[in-house]
Amino acid sequence: MASPESAGQFEQLVLTAILSLREDAYGVSIHAKVEELARPKAASLGAVYVTLDRLEDKGFVSSWLSDPTSARGGRAKRCYKLEALGERALQESAATAKRIWDTIVEVWGKEWAKEWGKRWGKEAG
Amino acid sequence: MPAPPRVAEAIIGWLIPPVCREHVLGDLHERYRSTSQYLHDAMRTVPLVILSRIRRITDPQLLLMEAFALYLSFVIAAWWLGPASFLYEDWGLLRLAIPTAVTLLALILVDAYANPARRFSLKPALQAAIGISFAFLSQSILWTTGGEFAVPWKIMMYGAGGSLILISALRVFFAAPEIRPRGGA
Repeated sequence: MASPESAGQFEQLVLTAILSLREDAYGVSIHAKVEELARPKAASLGAVYVTLDRLEDKGFVSSWLSDPTSARGGRAKRCYKLEALGERALQESAATAKRIWDTIVEVWGKEWAKEWGKRWGKEAG
Repeated sequence: MPAPPRVAEAIIGWLIPPVCREHVLGDLHERYRSTSQYLHDAMRTVPLVILSRIRRITDPQLLLMEAFALYLSFVIAAWWLGPASFLYEDWGLLRLAIPTAVTLLALILVDAYANPARRFSLKPALQAAIGISFAFLSQSILWTTGGEFAVPWKIMMYGAGGSLILISALRVFFAAPEIRPRGGA
């Protein structure tokens, strides 16, 4: 069986944002979540649109237009949801990230991992 | 509730391809804090939205066929219309590539800005005509500036006629369903 297309780093961030936002995944909310995940790097709204289009072409996500709202000047949102292919790509990415982490810990030691754990804890607040 | 200036919103809306207009304008509206922030946001977002739309809608095979058909039309017109020497002049073949390139670029933009919901049988011919009219526009600029790269108007006329037929036919038979007219192959 041919392996499905994999997701690039920015694509992984967008897929994770859609996963965590559930029913509320649309341009503005996805961009905000991606910026949070990509910290300290910044991400533009345009880059998020380009990636969403590419993910839709790959069959990783699907989209539909919601009802218009007054907060948006009477315009609709384009909402996104993960498809089975996208979930699989994200699972593969998570497994790869885990393997990278385990290998780094193996080489640089558990003390280094603890130090990083503390830093992440502080960042998370 | 603060809202972006109507004129700015209308201009930006006009620049965004119709397929993406609704949600991109809505997102920009939702992020509005001040006019300068809105314009900055739009300037950073709209070009990427256009490029993404072009990437999604452009069919490289069709584009290659159109490039070949256009260039062939202009070369045949130049050869047919007598001064066959035009083809042997310095930069003769390159000069014929200018209307070809301009038409192709215009066709790419026409496709990106096409509304898939509006489909009618003459759409391919209309799109081809718009593309070719941009070639005439570029040539008229070259003619008025006395540029040595301008193509004689007679070659342009005949070449454009042939291109119109060939591009329309290619679009009817090979264009993606999104840009193909109803009832097309």
